[in-house]
Amino acid sequence: MADLINLFIDDVAVSVPKGTLIVDAAKRADIDIPVFCYHPKLKPVGMCRMCLVQVGRVKLDRGTGQPVLDANGSPEIAYGPKLETSCTTPVEPGMRVITNTDLVKRAQKDVLEFLLTSHPLDCPICDKGGECPLQNLTLTYGPGVTRFDYADKQHLDKHYPLGELIFLDKERCIQCARCIRFQDEIADDHVLGFYERGRKMQIETMSTPGFDSKFSGNTTDICPVGALTTRDFRFRARPWEITNVPSICPHCPVGCNISLGTRRSAKGGGEWEILRVMPRQNEAVNEIWICDKGRFGHHYARSQARLQKPLIKKEGRLVEATWEEAFSLIADRFRAANGKAAGWLGDRVSNEDAWLFGKLFREGFNSAQLVNRPHVAGLDLVARYGVGVGTNLGNLGQGDVVFIVAGDVEETAPVHMLRLKAAVERGAKLIVANARETKMDRYAAISIQYQPGMDTQTVYSLLASVSNQQSAISSQVAKFAPSDNKIKAAGQLIAEAQNLIVMLGDERPYPVMVQGQYTDAGRALAQACANLVVATGHIGKANNGLLPLWPHNNTQGVYDMLSAQGAEALSGEVKALYLVGTDPIGEGQNLPPTDFVVVQELFLTPTAQQADVVLPALAWAERDGTFTNAERRVQRYYKALPPTGQAKADWEIFRLIAEKFGLKWSFFSAEGVMHEIAAQVAAYAGLDYVCLAETKEEWPPVGTSSDLYFGGTAYDNRGGVGAQTKSLFEINGRSELKWIEPPPPSGQSIEPRRLNRPGTLIDQSAIYEVRLRAAELVKIEA
Amino acid sequence: MTNETMTPLLEKYATQIETVLSKYPPDRKQSAVLPLLYLAQREYGYCTPEAIREVAEIAGVEPTEVDAVVGFYTLFYDHPVGKHVVQVCNDLPCALRGSDQFLEHACQKLGLDKHQVEHGGATTADGEFTLESVVCLAACDKAPLLQIDLEYFERLTPEEFDRLIEEYRKK
Ligand code: SF4
Ligand code: SF4
Ligand code: FES
Ligand code: FES
Repeated sequence: MADLINLFIDDVAVSVPKGTLIVDAAKRADIDIPVFCYHPKLKPVGMCRMCLVQVGRVKLDRGTGQPVLDANGSPEIAYGPKLETSCTTPVEPGMRVITNTDLVKRAQKDVLEFLLTSHPLDCPICDKGGECPLQNLTLTYGPGVTRFDYADKQHLDKHYPLGELIFLDKERCIQCARCIRFQDEIADDHVLGFYERGRKMQIETMSTPGFDSKFSGNTTDICPVGALTTRDFRFRARPWEITNVPSICPHCPVGCNISLGTRRSAKGGGEWEILRVMPRQNEAVNEIWICDKGRFGHHYARSQARLQKPLIKKEGRLVEATWEEAFSLIADRFRAANGKAAGWLGDRVSNEDAWLFGKLFREGFNSAQLVNRPHVAGLDLVARYGVGVGTNLGNLGQGDVVFIVAGDVEETAPVHMLRLKAAVERGAKLIVANARETKMDRYAAISIQYQPGMDTQTVYSLLASVSNQQSAISSQVAKFAPSDNKIKAAGQLIAEAQNLIVMLGDERPYPVMVQGQYTDAGRALAQACANLVVATGHIGKANNGLLPLWPHNNTQGVYDMLSAQGAEALSGEVKALYLVGTDPIGEGQNLPPTDFVVVQELFLTPTAQQADVVLPALAWAERDGTFTNAERRVQRYYKALPPTGQAKADWEIFRLIAEKFGLKWSFFSAEGVMHEIAAQVAAYAGLDYVCLAETKEEWPPVGTSSDLYFGGTAYDNRGGVGAQTKSLFEINGRSELKWIEPPPPSGQSIEPRRLNRPGTLIDQSAIYEVRLRAAELVKIEA
Repeated sequence: MTNETMTPLLEKYATQIETVLSKYPPDRKQSAVLPLLYLAQREYGYCTPEAIREVAEIAGVEPTEVDAVVGFYTLFYDHPVGKHVVQVCNDLPCALRGSDQFLEHACQKLGLDKHQVEHGGATTADGEFTLESVVCLAACDKAPLLQIDLEYFERLTPEEFDRLIEEYRKK
């Protein structure tokens, strides 16, 4: 327990850890001190002077250094001659802070009067109006009238594009530097700065493209005025007209909690639309951040190109059909396939969809040939040795080690990058091993660059330098004992680690036949990482175990659902094939030979074009469900939009097909499906939509709608913080070391995943096109 | 971050740049931004966007960060200026000592519009001089005063101003 400091704020006794700033200590006691430049996620700078308070300190005798006591024997308090900024002043024992004297009130009025000298006061047309700290604080603390001449206001550019995503209104900016500090301290992309000084000081960027950062949108949330706005939300709606629907970002395995700001709009023909996406506070997952893909990548849900009706191939052409026709045809063909059926399930669908897909195959199609696409190795190992319940990257610090291998965290799980950087600042140590440089190397205590394809060998070198204990694989591991001092030092860090998280990257070649032998290099790497955490005992505890960089938002969940139902890899003959939410042909792969293909999709993808039947599915925002993120946190998302055309939820389509097979499933909601999952999948035991909707108090309290200081009404988490499932090791305590000989470098060249890589869904966000074009797609050897 | 691309500055001033950089620890290259900017400004006449990118490249920082430095300091110019820049202080203490009349004279002598001089500066047609009125050169007791390039001249009379100009014209 950190040392506690006792003090009084407005006569309320407060006890807070040493180092706490007065402004935060006051918050703990429910006393609000108004701020502009201060933000609890950023380092204090004391630029705006809004947070001035009166501070009294215990008077010390100069001779003895002891407190001077008054007649009653209590320490005398000396108040400073000037007000102090509570956002930069840490608490001291016995301190007395007063936040509401006349002097303080006058200072607040004066600061606001100055801030408004050149403010345009265009709240009636400002996007921030209604959730604007400047507006709120002016009404609460401001003077009401100004002594300055309106004619002296500066007139500046109100529609200045910092880049293609973010606009700056130069008149509204109050120069608090929250945006610059976010970019410097949190995102570590130094692409915003102040130009000029004094009254002329303005935000600028010189990057190409402008404001080049994967996290730029966050600045529009934390800007305390309407100076920064996003291209797609500006002038679209007032905050109070928006219905915020809790959701989960569908783009990557971080599983950021988001709010979908929806409204009917004239521009959208009177239809419901997503007008903006904002982070929803979940300190265990994304805190109050999201990346730009999450913010701008939602447009696919309302794309004109969405499939509206079922399609059936007739004389070589896909023509519209009824659901009944489609279902009958599917039932006939899958019945005729007589067990020779196979399913390919994309890993973006919800757990409920995946569960019923497996169930339909088992009970209806009589087949277990089910593949979770795309191929990633180690899903089973993560299910067993994945990070323990209670893991929170936000808690990592002194004594904790994170080892990243064969992956680029910023490109594949962007918000993890922010949180790992912060963990390093709190004292955690990072070891990064890759075949090339990534942004994570900036924060690494030790960076290891291995020869292409030597990742698994590197992991074993590390393991060899950590332990000389006898184990099932120690003789094999010993062969990899490092000569390289860096690896030895990294081994030392791991040996001393209290907690160890191993981030399993995905920059491995696909399984191939090498000299008549099936080689799965990804599998070998995953096993090596598993061996590392098992051999060092870093499993089954919070902040210990494997944390994978999976390709999509629900890779883990789909695996959990299919494997629990005994899914098998494609092996036998396939007469009928059912693909859901996946586009192998578009990715340059072939379908196995088959007589009949069903594709369930949002768009007419290249694979769908080859199908005999195409079924239109609902987009994530049009229905509810759950996703399981890479930390195995199961999180609920809610329906935010009405359906497109006749599209149906994936799970519901499976239920209706099951009916054709005489199966009477009593699922009438995704929630009902979760009941069955909880009953049948050990790790999901006890989960239901009620407990997943539970929220808890978060610190810092930026996400409460009563908050006047940090802006953004959508931060409020009313949809639940989700629940982490247990790893199999936590359930049954079984672990084992297994040896897979590291394969030699394959010589294959692979294209590492990039956040801004074009794809079926993100291509629908026209606003994001520049980013997609600007992203460098590199090839590396693996 | 910086893959050693050859910038025109690096090509032309390789040794100077090396000397500048050698004054700072290798992981503190950004400390060299100011001297590098002076070098760039001398070379190009003012801090052009390309010059800013070059300096950023050499110092291993983002162009935005270098640009912010240019914006902050009044002796870096983000627009073309004359061969010599003349700054006359016309803040209140100096005004009390007659700097306003002095500035008027300076404008007349150089044939420049006072309003322009007071709002961002103006440059003579021959490109020799830029005249700016500025706020406090930290020598208030010696007004009227001015700064030409990096040098101060204090307690000036209009005649002395004319002489100075002729002198600098020859430089
Ligand atoms: S743009 Fe917003 S966040 Fe940035 S300095 Fe101005 S007011 Fe602050
Ligand atoms: S980090 Fe991942 S989950 Fe979070 S917003 Fe970005 S794409 Fe979505
Ligand atoms: S100075 Fe404290 S909030 Fe700005
Ligand atoms: S006011 Fe002119 S030099 Fe200070």
